[in-house]
Amino acid sequence: MGVADPLPGGAHDLEFNVHHAPLRIVIVGGGSAGWMCAAAAAQVLHPERYRLTLIESDDIGTVGVGEATLPALRDFNELLGLDEAQFMRETQGTFKLGIEFRDWDVPGSYIHPFGAFGELWGGVEFQHFWMRARRQGLNPPPLEEFSVAVRACRRNAFDFPSSSTVLSTFYGYAYHFDASLYADFLRRWSVARGVTRIEGQVVDVALDGAQGNIESLTLKSGQRIAGDFFIDCSGFRSLLLGDKLQVPWEDWSQWLPCDRAWAVPCERSADFTPYTRSTAKKGGWIWRIPLQHRTGNGHVFSTRYVSEDEARATLLGQLDARALGEPRLLKFRAGRRAQVWKRNCLALGLASGFLEPLESTSLFLIQKAIQDMLRLLPSPEARGVDERLVREFNRSSDALYERIRDFLILHYTANRRFGEPLWDHVRDYELPESLHHKLRLFDARGHVPYFKDGFFSRDSWLAVLFGQGLMPGAHDRLADCLPRELLDARLRELHSRVAAHAGAMPSHAELIARYCGEPPVTKQAMSS
Amino acid sequence: MSAASQAPAIRELVIVGRDAPVWLSACVMQYALGPAGVNVTVIELPPQAQAADLCVSLPALEALHTRLRIDESRLIGATRGAFTLGRRFVDDSGSAQAFFHAHGSIGTRIDRKEFLPQWLHARHQGFDHSFEEFSLTAMAARQNRMLLPDAAIDGFGFTDYGYHLPAIPYGAWLRQLALRRGVRCHATRELGIRVDSQRGIAGLMLDDGRAVTGDFFLDVTGREALLNKALGVGIESWRDAFPVDRVLSACGALLNPVPIYSEIRAQRSGWISLAASQVCIHVQQAYCSDLAPEPSELEATTRMPLQAIVIRDLQPGRRLNAWERNCVAIGQAACVFDPLHFVDLHAVQVGLVHLLPLFPVQADFGVERDEYNKNVRAAFGRMRDFQSAHYLLNRYGSDSDAFWTRARAAAPLAELAHKIDAFRARGETVYYEDEAFTIDDWQALFIGHGVIPETWDPAVDRTPPELLRSELTRIQGFIRQKVDEQRTHTAYLHEVCAPPRAAVMPPFK
Repeated sequence: MGVADPLPGGAHDLEFNVHHAPLRIVIVGGGSAGWMCAAAAAQVLHPERYRLTLIESDDIGTVGVGEATLPALRDFNELLGLDEAQFMRETQGTFKLGIEFRDWDVPGSYIHPFGAFGELWGGVEFQHFWMRARRQGLNPPPLEEFSVAVRACRRNAFDFPSSSTVLSTFYGYAYHFDASLYADFLRRWSVARGVTRIEGQVVDVALDGAQGNIESLTLKSGQRIAGDFFIDCSGFRSLLLGDKLQVPWEDWSQWLPCDRAWAVPCERSADFTPYTRSTAKKGGWIWRIPLQHRTGNGHVFSTRYVSEDEARATLLGQLDARALGEPRLLKFRAGRRAQVWKRNCLALGLASGFLEPLESTSLFLIQKAIQDMLRLLPSPEARGVDERLVREFNRSSDALYERIRDFLILHYTANRRFGEPLWDHVRDYELPESLHHKLRLFDARGHVPYFKDGFFSRDSWLAVLFGQGLMPGAHDRLADCLPRELLDARLRELHSRVAAHAGAMPSHAELIARYCGEPPVTKQAMSS
Repeated sequence: MSAASQAPAIRELVIVGRDAPVWLSACVMQYALGPAGVNVTVIELPPQAQAADLCVSLPALEALHTRLRIDESRLIGATRGAFTLGRRFVDDSGSAQAFFHAHGSIGTRIDRKEFLPQWLHARHQGFDHSFEEFSLTAMAARQNRMLLPDAAIDGFGFTDYGYHLPAIPYGAWLRQLALRRGVRCHATRELGIRVDSQRGIAGLMLDDGRAVTGDFFLDVTGREALLNKALGVGIESWRDAFPVDRVLSACGALLNPVPIYSEIRAQRSGWISLAASQVCIHVQQAYCSDLAPEPSELEATTRMPLQAIVIRDLQPGRRLNAWERNCVAIGQAACVFDPLHFVDLHAVQVGLVHLLPLFPVQADFGVERDEYNKNVRAAFGRMRDFQSAHYLLNRYGSDSDAFWTRARAAAPLAELAHKIDAFRARGETVYYEDEAFTIDDWQALFIGHGVIPETWDPAVDRTPPELLRSELTRIQGFIRQKVDEQRTHTAYLHEVCAPPRAAVMPPFK
């Protein structure tokens, strides 16, 4: 059987660029990773210069649990020109202002919002003023009460940030949605725009003799698909990058020991939160993600500290509404492939690495990789892979993975759950130097370095550092410049302003019903 | 979880140095920390600034001056300085194309995509207009007009400017400001330094026998780095990347109109910069001592009589630690840069602004010190890379011109090499943390030296050629219109910065 060219009729001379056949991009695997990639590529790339094919098997289930996201996803949807209300209707989406962490330090709760605490005064960060006020006996309210987003969460309220008030610029939002519905939506969208979908399962990968690039794939049916550039969205199996191209796995389980997750949906509860909840447990943590039609729940845990059966029971015991089906078990390891792009193969999603969904980073990592790939992928003229661009992609990907890893480790290591084996272990283990340095700096004076690439932002680090119970030994001298009475007055004024702003917001449930329930209402009408 | 510190915070800050850098440091530290209870004392050493010396700022200085409540117009008037929109790089032999490096963005988004790949795409389609024609700032500079943003320009991109401030009057101005704000000052010709192995600087002795103590010290003594050296801090040499080891400075004639950009002119034996103030043209000639040009070449090239000539040796390199024990080196005491792109004043600013949020609050400040040294090291490295790229990528001179051959033979350090590679391959402008120069600055540098990317962002393939062409034409029209609306540099200087009717500040002795 010959090689099936995914472009029926073969390559042609093109008016745009003579003598160059289009570059054939083959995406292996559907799900969010595969279809986000296909959709973005279909939107951005010229159809006569790039051909897009996606191979997915109806037999292989995708992971698809209720998913929480980061604000960047809004940019992704905007790139595709998606209407927000329609997207939320299609995916049973709700709004997300942040994540509530329960019992991660001592029993209690803190929220990591998409937004800042307080304001900058004289170029000095707010936490220094707040710490100074505490130290000097002004008894300021808890730091979280200076965050518009957190106060809204505590009221289960939501409104769109508008440009009409300054405080609105101090928060953002993201979504919770059903990722498999999102993938389905993107599949229909992509196919309508010329992406070829082939149903099938890849059973063999052939390399070319010369450079070791991937040349073609063979499906179970015997069909062979040739391509120039391959995107591995095959999940944990990492069929192309890990398996065929032998890119080694860099294991991070010494820092992130969770290796399983039970997932189960339950009925939507009365408590319709505009935030994700993460509750720490003996052997891991339980997520709770509100969708319009139901709630997604999961228990991420380490089999070193709790058995699968016990973890399953704990999850079911924690549900606040009736379970809808049997819990599903997922197995994984924390870590990533040593390089995400090798030769003519680039991996997305689980095929590239895995970090537990503690801070909703899975789709973000996919999105970022897609954006970089679309700028750096081979051109039809120079079909060979340019190692200079591979290096740039990997440099950027490495930095992002490591920063996120460090941020997740922080949640674990800064805990006071003394006497519990998992929590004692993560409190005592040796940290990556990058994280250790950040903790020392915060401990000394509440300083968090600023990264221009922002990921995670300084505000996010502050939320988790304070939330996990760390209290710096001193504050920045620059915050001492404000006279004491003026500091007190400003804190009071800001506190009421934040409360008023959050207090004016409608309930999350009400807003969802009006915005993307029926009939559809425009955003303008919503926030006037 | 640490206990609240019992040790006293730093109260006495002693800044040792000379010229504009020491007074800028004093103003900044006093302004930021004075109200928090820090006393600032300057130990002033004899000045080394000469009439020919010019402090050239990057756009960031404006914000720092604003924080210090320095009135720009009064400053320019009192120092008889000038504005600058950037620099023009010229090949005096005429073979390499001249190009602008202007402070501002180049082009604007077309069809929702970045300008550079659209420009490359258009060029590939035969639309032959230089990159710099799309820099509003460069086009204004070419017409010697000052560029002030309005709403339309803000929507188009960003535009910035720097200053040319004659070093002696600028230092005098800052000195007066610092003293008015409560900075104490002791002048001395000689300086004795007592070192303690734990603390660092234990005390200073002035030439009248007085002893000065302090809790914390800044070394702004210039390349001598008196305090830093006394503490035994080593230097890493940058000689491999920067061949220039001698710089001649001189005052040329006063030009009328005063140019709003400087020129950097490549010669056979090095380069000559010409930067204007309202006093004169400040000339610098940079060369290698073993390839020294003929003395007559300079006047022949500049075609103006030169005065107040001073020649200095140059050893580019970075101190291994800017912050050592209780002493932070600022400016040239921390890092000696090649004179290209005039980054010296910016290096002072970088050292100061990184110190402020890390200024010690407890007796033990080891972690702040580590963080500071890491940040400043990286920031200086990125500035160095920008300079180094010019020496590596230029196409000046022939193979028989030893200076440029030597310059091009340097091996770039890893971050810069990768940046050049990525740009050459795809026009991808890698931007690290702590960069002083903008993405547009880097693009202007690369394109100016003829590094044309082999491919570009595929997203622009979808922009129809007619739309691309019409947008480029529209941008050119917008630029022409906006430039025409601007006042000339001369008019701006007269209107806004008339020198004070009182006597001009006497030269600093």
